[in-house]
Formats: sequence, C-alpha cells, structure tokens
Amino acid sequence: MRKDVTVGAEPRVLRGKNEARRLRVKGMIPAVLYGAYKDSQAIGVSPKEVNGILHSKSGHNTIFNLAVAGGETTPAMVVDTQYDPVSSRLLHADFKRIDLEKRIRVSVPVATTGEAKGIKLQGGLLEVVTREVDIECLPDEIPEHFVLDVTELMIGQSVRASHIALSGSMKLLSPPEAVVAHLVVLRAEAVAEPAPAAEGVAPAEPAEPEVIKKGKKEEEGAAEPAPEKKKK
Amino acid sequence: MLMPKKVKYRKQQRGRMAGKAWRGSSVAFGEYGLKAMVCGWITDRQIEAARIAMTRFIKRGGKVWIRLFPDKPITKKPAETRMGKGKGAPEQWVAVVRPGKILFEMEGVAPDVAEQAMRLAAHKLPLKTKFVSRLHAE
Repeated sequence: MRKDVTVGAEPRVLRGKNEARRLRVKGMIPAVLYGAYKDSQAIGVSPKEVNGILHSKSGHNTIFNLAVAGGETTPAMVVDTQYDPVSSRLLHADFKRIDLEKRIRVSVPVATTGEAKGIKLQGGLLEVVTREVDIECLPDEIPEHFVLDVTELMIGQSVRASHIALSGSMKLLSPPEAVVAHLVVLRAEAVAEPAPAAEGVAPAEPAEPEVIKKGKKEEEGAAEPAPEKKKK
Repeated sequence: MLMPKKVKYRKQQRGRMAGKAWRGSSVAFGEYGLKAMVCGWITDRQIEAARIAMTRFIKRGGKVWIRLFPDKPITKKPAETRMGKGKGAPEQWVAVVRPGKILFEMEGVAPDVAEQAMRLAAHKLPLKTKFVSRLHAE
C-alpha cells in the first residue's frame, strides 16, 4: 500500500562496524538501498521513521518515498530488518526501490475472523499455521491483510491459502493447499509427550542416554593402521 | 524430564555463554513468548516445573511450545569424596541460554492469561525474563 510519507536519508561514505556503531550513537541506523537495476547505496536513516512505517497498518508492505540527501528520491519499501535480540532495537534496514508499474512479490498477513464452531461444540483449539502468504501484484494493489472466516470450522477441518479471495491482478504464489488455520484436538499435556516416557523409565534417578559407539569403533579401526605405517 | 536419547560423549566441559541469542530470539510458533534477558543454565527439572505451572494455569485453553532443550550433561562428585580420581558422574541436564532466547511460546489464550501463565513459569526459572508478544517480539 502506497503512502504519502517521505523518509529522509543520508548517504554513508565510511563503512564497517565501527562507523555503524558511531552512526547508531548519533541516533541513526545504517541501511542500504537497492533494486530497480541501479547500484546499491549505503545510507543512514532515522530508526523512529522506519519503526513508524513498520508499525503502521500496512506494516512492511508500505511503499513510501525515500529521499537521499543530495541524491535521488524514489518510492521504496522495507524488505529486511535486523533487531537486537535483547533490547529489540532496530539495528539495520534494507530498502528496495519500487517501480510502480511493475508487479512485485510481497508477503501479506492473513488474519482469521469469527469463533470456530468446533471450539464450543467439540472443545477444539484453533491453530494458526500460516500467518503470511506470498502474492504477486502491482504496488498500488497490495492489501493491508487478508481475512479468512473460520466460523464453520470443526475439528479436523482447515482453511487453506486457496480460500483467500484475491482481487484485481493479484496472483497467489504460496502453495494453494497450504493450511492457514485448522482446528485441532486440545490436549492439556500435548507438550509433555516426551516427558512421561522419560519419567516412566526412572523418576528418581534419570537414566543415562545411549552413547554412540559405532562411530568410535570405525575411527579406531581407521586410526590403527596409521601408527603401523609410522613404525615401518 | 527432557534429555537426549543418544549422545556422542557422556561428559562435557563447562563452556562459555558469551554473546546474545541471535537465533531463536523471535516468537515463531505462537502468539506470546517468554524471553530470557540474561544468560544461564536451565535444568531439565526447571523446564518441567515451568511447563507444569503454565499448563495448569491455562487449563484446557491453549497450546504451549518449549523452545529450549537440555542437551548439556552436568556432572557431580559424590558427597565426602576426596579430590581427584576423575570427573564425577552425570547428574543432570541443562540448556545453555543466552540473552534474547525465547524459552516458551503460547497460543490460543487471552493476552492477560498468557502473561499471568508466563509469570508463573518465570518464577520457576533461575533467570530474569520478559513477556513478549508477536507484535513486540522483533
């Protein structure tokens, strides 16, 4: 989805982790701009502006204007991001130049609506398997998300990617038989499947696992001739 | 308790826990997760205790994923034993956790129920943790 937002960027001349760190201290993050058969360019952008785009309704599928200081202003979208595992701070972003007249491949979120019949009648659990599907469409046609109705689902039934209603020139790239959500039998101890087996063997003193010996024997066998050669 | 079925060597050295968890640090299966904020060892018993605390609280309401596995053997010498005479016998299994690792995930419950269940689970663990949801996990 296209938005009339302009994100400012500065070209980066110096490279490397030290320079990237200095840039982050200044309140910017390193990023790269590529695509549309042009050379890639190292840039620096404000993480606040990028986060604003990523947390908008259209998320990473937002097409915005990227204005590089002293250079080009081009429609672009965020194609990749790196986050710090602990602080969840944005560390790096990849931007792709978008040709508004060419079809592009995007991942669109899939949401479910309604409460499945099988949850109340059969005590099932709705498990969402696929949260995004890949489609090909024109940049102006990218939807915010797809919505799938799951109200008729009973245990053992599923909704698949082929059930998604596509409009305009959209083409589904994900496998049509890919399960988006299904209703499964709820088991309270479903996660504990390996545990009871281990507990049954030895609850007080845990039994030791089997030590792989085959590999050792082969290695020993292969190693034995070598010293003989040395002796000769 | 969780433990490997087969191992190549019975005993291991202690190792180091430097760096952050650059893998397994985002919510991948469920809607909510429990993230480790510091490094440490989590034993098989602690994982089991946390799992039981979580599943008891959510009753028959959701699905839980355990994103860590104790694959490191920890040895211990018997009590009142003189030093030397070799390394002790394997006593327990631990998972090595680095900061940022998602320990558990949950789906199919309300956000407040998930947060409370994760809080109860966190009390069974020897680490500082944080409740995260899919939206704020990255």
